[in-house]
Amino acid sequence: MFKNYLKIAARNLFNNKTYSFINIGGLALGLAVSILIGLWIHDEKSFNTNFSNHDRIAQVLVNKTNNGEVRTRFTLPYPLADELRNVHPNDFNHVVMSSFPGDNVLSSKEKNLNKYGVFMEQGALRLFSLHMLKGNQSALNDPNAIVISESTAKAFFGDKEPIGKTMHLNNDAVVTVRGVFEDLPHNSNIFETLAAFSEGKPLDFIAPWTVYVSMYEWVKTARDRKLWDNNSYQVYVEVSNQSKLQAVNDKIKHALYDHVPDLTKKSNPEIFLHPMNDWHLKSSFKNGVSSGGAIQYVRMFGIIGVFVLLLACINFMNLSTARSQRRAKEVGIRKTVGSNKNQLIGQFLFESFLVTFCAFVLACALVGVLLPVFNPLANKQIVFPLAKPMFWCIGLGLVLITSLLAGSYPALYLSSFHPIKVLKGTIQSGKSATSFRKVLVVVQFMVSIILVSGTILVNRQIQHTKNRPIGYEQNGLIMVEKTTADFEGKYNTLREAFKNNTGVIEMSESSSPMTEVWHSNGGYEWEGKDPNFITNIVNFYVSHDYGKTIGWEVKEGRDFSRDFASDSTAYVLNEAAVEYMGLQDPVGKTIRWYDGEHKVIGVVKNLLTESPFEPVKQAIYSINYQETNWINLKLSPDKSLAQSLEQIEMEFAQIAPNVPFEYHFVDDAFGNKFKAEERMRKLSEIFSVLAIFISCLGLYGLSAFIAERRTKEIGIRKVLGASILSLFKMLSWDFVVLILLSGLIAIPVAYYLILQWLQNYTYQINIPWWVFGVAISCVMLTALFTVSYQAVRAATSNPMKSLRTE
Amino acid sequence: MLLQLKNIFKWVNSGGQRIFLLKDINFEVSEGEFISIMGPSGSGKSTLLNVIGMLDGFDEGEYHFLDESVHSLKEKHRSNLYKEYIGFVFQSYHLLDDLTVKENLEMPLLYKKYSSSERKAKVADMLDRFNIVGKKDLFPAQLSGGQQQLVGIARALISNPKLILADEPTGNLNSKQGEEIMELFKKLNDEGVTIIQVTHSEKNAAYGSRVINLLDGRMI
Ligand SMILES: Nc1ncnc2c1ncn2[C@@H]1O[C@H](COP(=O)(O)OP(=O)(O)OP(=O)(O)O)[C@@H](O)[C@H]1O
Ligand SMILES: [Mg+2]
Repeated sequence: MFKNYLKIAARNLFNNKTYSFINIGGLALGLAVSILIGLWIHDEKSFNTNFSNHDRIAQVLVNKTNNGEVRTRFTLPYPLADELRNVHPNDFNHVVMSSFPGDNVLSSKEKNLNKYGVFMEQGALRLFSLHMLKGNQSALNDPNAIVISESTAKAFFGDKEPIGKTMHLNNDAVVTVRGVFEDLPHNSNIFETLAAFSEGKPLDFIAPWTVYVSMYEWVKTARDRKLWDNNSYQVYVEVSNQSKLQAVNDKIKHALYDHVPDLTKKSNPEIFLHPMNDWHLKSSFKNGVSSGGAIQYVRMFGIIGVFVLLLACINFMNLSTARSQRRAKEVGIRKTVGSNKNQLIGQFLFESFLVTFCAFVLACALVGVLLPVFNPLANKQIVFPLAKPMFWCIGLGLVLITSLLAGSYPALYLSSFHPIKVLKGTIQSGKSATSFRKVLVVVQFMVSIILVSGTILVNRQIQHTKNRPIGYEQNGLIMVEKTTADFEGKYNTLREAFKNNTGVIEMSESSSPMTEVWHSNGGYEWEGKDPNFITNIVNFYVSHDYGKTIGWEVKEGRDFSRDFASDSTAYVLNEAAVEYMGLQDPVGKTIRWYDGEHKVIGVVKNLLTESPFEPVKQAIYSINYQETNWINLKLSPDKSLAQSLEQIEMEFAQIAPNVPFEYHFVDDAFGNKFKAEERMRKLSEIFSVLAIFISCLGLYGLSAFIAERRTKEIGIRKVLGASILSLFKMLSWDFVVLILLSGLIAIPVAYYLILQWLQNYTYQINIPWWVFGVAISCVMLTALFTVSYQAVRAATSNPMKSLRTE
Repeated sequence: MLLQLKNIFKWVNSGGQRIFLLKDINFEVSEGEFISIMGPSGSGKSTLLNVIGMLDGFDEGEYHFLDESVHSLKEKHRSNLYKEYIGFVFQSYHLLDDLTVKENLEMPLLYKKYSSSERKAKVADMLDRFNIVGKKDLFPAQLSGGQQQLVGIARALISNPKLILADEPTGNLNSKQGEEIMELFKKLNDEGVTIIQVTHSEKNAAYGSRVINLLDGRMI
């Protein structure tokens, strides 16, 4: 029986090549998109599952409430880790304090490399159960140890034995390699990073906490004085039992509050555990509760995947029912020789399974070809899991579901034909099928219109954000991190050397890079401040030449100047700070902090230093040469970039010969902030094009069928004198009406969805109505173009020929 | 007695009016008969044949086939009945274009419980009996009309029906081909198969043992 079905199906496919191509090709495309999205979602969901205790690991976060607004932070004070360890010994297997990860200069013999690493307390290796290729998980117990990644070991020692080798950290501490861990997989993110330009950097080393304390005076101070209000550390824990997570959460809630100074108590700091399983997917917080993160993209692309597949299924349904007249005769004959309805349903479902299976095989080939293109677009390293039985199980399931989805309606429809009617030839493909087909076409174009208008608006939102005034001049601005102490006290020497010998116009230093905020403080007082108002203001510690280097715009008052000795305690505010403090005439006003009084000498326009999607925070700029971490250089536009960089590198080498020269272009670093959005824009563009393409493929098939069915009518009309234009109109008009209808339904749906998406952004566009007009016209034109091929062909064909075919 | 129709009426309602397609049809058919139904176009010949073949229902009357009362049978039983005892031959052959001659012949057997070797044997037997062994791997489009009708008849016969219903089996053929088909029917009838055919030709009707004349859905 199946052999017979198979034969019929195969010959049917072979004898109707256009139809088969549209059906299999469309389905393959739809399936390929679903598979790609499925692989992507799987990868997103697999984040951090490589750590064997991922169910029990968590990061300690803190919610602080200032003036009614809850903010979630991962920066914690030094004594908290000890507190958790000592007060709740049974709840945690490990409590590990960690520095922020960052670039450090790692040296061995002549070789100096910038390596991305972190300092952690003992137990770190066990907590993350890092896979040690050399050494073991107690390697960090040695106070002068370092464990390095496999690729770092290779970079320094090649094939030689790394264990026991001595290395220098930041030209300061001497450490010995005690272990080598396997490089962390791409789908892991164990550290919250502050800097956008270190996003996705692989972890190169872990050094023991003791080294951190010995290298930095401020860490030692925090330890010795038990500073509860200096938040510069992160804490990771492994709870002893996964089921305890919630209970532990409740227990430790006030661990911070109980110890902080009274002033900090006002912000009611509550700590909680953020489970490792949520680190990637649910990383953002709004008002102290998890508000999503990557999970939003997972959901969105999941929906898109289902929709694209649905579009392809709709093609299958439409073409099958449209072509039903051709199959009707077969149904009639089979019924008269004894087939019953169920056998026919089985036959047609088997056919749709066969078609879907062919499409699936083709889709796998497509995915194989597309993955190398998709991976960089999506910033992934997905491998096609062809060897995994799980993939084939899911694949088979997908084929089954798809073939049922696409095949059920045609199977039911076709098998219910009455044999006498179809054999007599009086059956016109039923009215119900025609209207159902119209509904499906409307759904298809609705999805396309939603995707197109969504894409346009995503684009506009990104462009809108990019057009925001950033408040400084990014052109030719580079920044270099001062990773070692070599630069201390050499500001003037360095500046002179750069200005005289290289293409640098101006140099300055600052505590944060141009694209980040590293410091903020509370406790500010000023005249007229509401005593209940809890302040929190961003701080930038800068050198005198900062403003000149970055080209900020002074709105009121003046920039810092060496001509006024008093400027060493002066403040420059940004506009947001003036508004935040409610100052009327800010210049000349006095602001008090713990260290005394500060005079406001100027106000600058807001500088966009954090997320370009968020409003600029209130900020204070002050002179402080001790707290700077970054060197900012403004290059002359008249000199060649390559030459300037080469000269700069030479100057750096003079002062810090062992520090590898690494710089960041500010505009690149700023551009990185759009990466996630740009990625999403590109993907949504691609999926929209695919959706339209698949829909048009179906439309092409449908129009071919309609033109074929109406050949005789067209012939008669032509003989009676109808013009080509009127025939064209007659053949296309139906589709125009359908697309307009889709547009009408699509607009409110798209409007709602986009509004939801925009909620993620504070700095958002409004939704102009013309966008929907453009989307509808765009889809309409493409569709008309598709239909017109068949329409023109039918309208211009020789009428005598078509009449003779009857 | 093979079948018996008693006071059969069939009608359709159109615009509040009842249009009769069959009016008070009464006749019996015994096994081994060769009956021709004749009448002008639109007189209800095909309608009657379809009622006999159980492909179409009727509105009033009784229909007995062998010992079963067709009018009170459930759809499933009815289809089992005609599947087993009735073979159809059509004016326009109605072969499946995508199947070869051999596969077309095999198709009815697939819906009955035959093993694969039984099927092969029966198909080979039919091909042999109709002298079309050489054509077994051709598609219908590669055959002449007469040859296609041969295949159509062979297909109708393959599951050994007691009754063959043929609606103008020679209507699309030239007179020579038509004659051959009628000779074949005669031979089959001699072998014991009951045949009811619709025809417009007196000559074809002469092959049969009895003629039923229809006019406006009524026997005359
Ligand atoms: N479903 C229907 N609704 C209305 N009228 C019908 C229907 N089916 C058949 N008829 C009418 O019943 C009459 C008999 O039709 P039938 O096909 O049986 O004629 P026929 O004798 O086979 O004619 P021909 O020799 O042309 O094949 C015709 O007038 C036809 O129009
Ligand atoms: Mg007829």
